[in-house]
Amino acid sequence: MATRLKPVDAVTIGVGLTGSLAALELAKAGLKIVGLERGAARFTVPDFQSPPIHDELRFSIRKAMMQDNTKVAVTFRNDSNETALPIRRWESFLPGQGLGGSFVHWNGQSFRAQVADFIYKTHLEKRYGKKFLEACGPELIFQDWGVTYDELEPHFDRFEYLCGVSGTAGNIKGKIQPGGNPFEAPRAREYPNPALKEPYFGAIFRKGAESLGYHPYPQPSSNLSRPYTNPEGLSLQRCVFCGFCERYACEHFAKASPQTVILPALLNRPNYELRTNCEVLRINLDSTRRKATGVTYVDGAGNEFEQPAELVLITAFPLNNVRTLLLSGIGEPYDPRTGKGVVGRCYTYQTTGGPTVFMDESVNVNPFMSSGAPGTMIDDFGGDNFDHSGLDFVGGQYVGSIMTNGRPIEFHPTPPGTPTWGLEWKKAVARHYNHTILIQQHGTSTASRLNYLDLDPTYKDAWGQPLLRMTFDFPDNDIRMSQYIANKVVAIGRAMGGKTVVRGGTRKPYSTTFYQSTHNAGGAVMGDDPTTSAVNRYMQSWDVPNVFSLGASAFPQNITYNYSITIGALTYWALDAIKNQYLKAPGPLVQK
Amino acid sequence: MTAAPVNRLSLAVVVIGSFGLLGIAIAAAQTSPQGDPNRGAVVAAQGVPKAGVPACAQCHAYTGSSDGSGAFPRLAGQSAYYLGKELADYAGGVRSNAIMTPIAKGLGATERADVAAYYAEVKGPFLPLADVSSALFKRGEQLAKVGDESKGLQSCDNCHGPGGAGQPPAIPYLAGQYGPYIAMQLRMWQRGYRRNSDDAMAYIAKRLSDGDIDAVAAYFQQVRRADQLAQDSRK
Ligand SMILES: Cc1cc2nc3c(=O)[nH]c(=O)nc-3n(C[C@H](O)[C@H](O)[C@H](O)COP(=O)(O)OP(=O)(O)OC[C@H]3O[C@@H](n4cnc5c(N)ncnc54)[C@H](O)[C@@H]3O)c2cc1C
Ligand code: SF4
Repeated sequence: MATRLKPVDAVTIGVGLTGSLAALELAKAGLKIVGLERGAARFTVPDFQSPPIHDELRFSIRKAMMQDNTKVAVTFRNDSNETALPIRRWESFLPGQGLGGSFVHWNGQSFRAQVADFIYKTHLEKRYGKKFLEACGPELIFQDWGVTYDELEPHFDRFEYLCGVSGTAGNIKGKIQPGGNPFEAPRAREYPNPALKEPYFGAIFRKGAESLGYHPYPQPSSNLSRPYTNPEGLSLQRCVFCGFCERYACEHFAKASPQTVILPALLNRPNYELRTNCEVLRINLDSTRRKATGVTYVDGAGNEFEQPAELVLITAFPLNNVRTLLLSGIGEPYDPRTGKGVVGRCYTYQTTGGPTVFMDESVNVNPFMSSGAPGTMIDDFGGDNFDHSGLDFVGGQYVGSIMTNGRPIEFHPTPPGTPTWGLEWKKAVARHYNHTILIQQHGTSTASRLNYLDLDPTYKDAWGQPLLRMTFDFPDNDIRMSQYIANKVVAIGRAMGGKTVVRGGTRKPYSTTFYQSTHNAGGAVMGDDPTTSAVNRYMQSWDVPNVFSLGASAFPQNITYNYSITIGALTYWALDAIKNQYLKAPGPLVQK
Repeated sequence: MTAAPVNRLSLAVVVIGSFGLLGIAIAAAQTSPQGDPNRGAVVAAQGVPKAGVPACAQCHAYTGSSDGSGAFPRLAGQSAYYLGKELADYAGGVRSNAIMTPIAKGLGATERADVAAYYAEVKGPFLPLADVSSALFKRGEQLAKVGDESKGLQSCDNCHGPGGAGQPPAIPYLAGQYGPYIAMQLRMWQRGYRRNSDDAMAYIAKRLSDGDIDAVAAYFQQVRRADQLAQDSRK
């Protein structure tokens, strides 16, 4: 029997990026909030200090910071005719667990989405026509988000200043700025901090890209270039390029994370209560099934509780957001045969993979001297930054030399033809370790009728609830896009002076056995039409208005860039609506 | 991404890779002249009279142990890169001190590199030390190894190496450095008199209370000895 607890105004399911950010906004508005986090509490001091935090085996290989998939895994298959199996070893994507969520072990690559991303369908139809889109693939789904870039700009700005993003503006109020990304959406003002120093590999890429007429710029980064105090009064320090950023927590207070830029301003508020090691099982609905009454969770000792709440925010990372909706019976599940239903629909990922450039022995790359989000890149092939007429695909990728580390277990590039073990392999590693540059291609993932999330019919979690099942493969459109760009990038690799350039680009079938990106998106997408979106433009459930599903689960298709800055902006946007409209008159913010 | 046997090269990289700043230092060190420790030894012993530079040994001892007062830092075994950089900073005015500035200015770039190379090589003895209170030592150890979340302070060891052993070439050892010298430098950063490494050390020093400074200073002065005593007691 669940113990019924005293009601509160709001709960968040998960305390990562969206959960902590939303709670801080609501706490300032005076609400009594409980944050329920399935993982443990942890802080920069003492939990993230070195040397233990630089244990590559523990964090990179054994994934110490990731969702405990002995308790809750995700099942996977490429195609709905196959039987999905549980992913027992995270590789392709690495969802986090524990206070701060994945926003602790993220890299800090900090981009805004483009103007066109939010009006994707309208924009593409206008530029290329419906026939063109149809020819890219009849299974593809294009949708607008119901919110525009202009509406989000102040929220982007606010979130970047919260994180202390270090970068060089490319477009301030429509005026192109020297040194920045000329393709970026117009911003109101400069980044809060100057860009990080350019590593050598970035400088070599810059030269190569420039010689071909592209527009290199420093990657915007939430690894800070200098000490900074954010508008919440929280201080960050300068990044020391420690080389243990992605998959690790920062020991130097130098990477934006809930622990550095949000939680200290939240945890000291008497109207906020954090409960860790608490697994939320479901959202409870009243008999009308139009109102949530709260959530049921299990604590670390296995005791079940019912936490009544007026407002429920699902802030559990996209995959868990969708699963929570499905387990709670909120919204109609997507049916791939009829194309009807919204929860689980439009699951998208990210197209990644780039070339490896083997340099002469005289070029000392020093890859170990790096941060989570350093380096130099170009956006000439991003999103719809280039003309696609005459091509047979939509979408794009950014391209850059943005190497994050030279860690010994993970980084030992060898040219094709090298044996995979033994003396020859060792010799090749010694020869190439310090003379190899990786280039990243990273881009859009188009939604498809064939790709979706639902509940697995066979496999269950530690509490007996069905696991989330992922059915996904890259649409051919995305493969054509990535391979087209791969050709261009090979030329950059040569212009950089590469002796051997191993071509990159995304390939089919999608495999979960090597790391690509933790930018799982969609499944509970936002929009203006309740038949094609699970949440409205404020990420409020169409069916149960006191439930909001915050985060990238709301993306109708995935953007070119790493998505957290866009998630932060969307969260601020939704919270503005909750504070200024919803709390005054609880109910749907948009009529069906 | 299969786990492969770690070869010797990779092991070297683990050590360097954990502290990325080193890479920067290596790059910079390559461009500064290589010192000759034999020539440096002469400067240490006799100074450069024609340039008005007294013998380093007067304050720092020929062994680099200085005297135990803590008015002068221990130099023995500090990296040549670091010593050379501090001398260059004194000469260039980024770091200033009534005694050291004219000395560093009097030395040419080559002599600075020579003397840095000499003191990097010598193995000066560790002098006997008076006891410090265990409460002070413990607080220092806490800051050095763990940090203090409430002050936004990470552990000293993140950069200065496990037990303050240093992360050569860029980052100096603290273990065995004299407490009064460490405390003095932290206060100089705190008050803006020492300006090299402003972003890192001034930021941190400003977050330390007087008590914290005394504690880390006492801890690092004593930590080598604590290690030694622990070893002795195991024998
Ligand atoms: C290795 C890696 C690198 C990344 N690098 C970048 C980057 O460079 N740039 C970028 O933009 N983005 C990056 N990301 C993505 C970024 O981490 C996410 O966008 C961000 O953390 C998402 O925020 P969220 O609140 O949706 O999820 P999270 O921050 O993951 O928080 C979700 C929280 O909910 C908890 N939770 C889930 N289910 C339950 C439940 N049932 N009950 C209780 N608690 C629950 C989880 O334990 C977790 O703590 C990276 C991610 C990873 C893994
Ligand atoms: S690379 Fe920089 S931001 Fe990342 S963990 Fe290291 S010091 Fe922190």
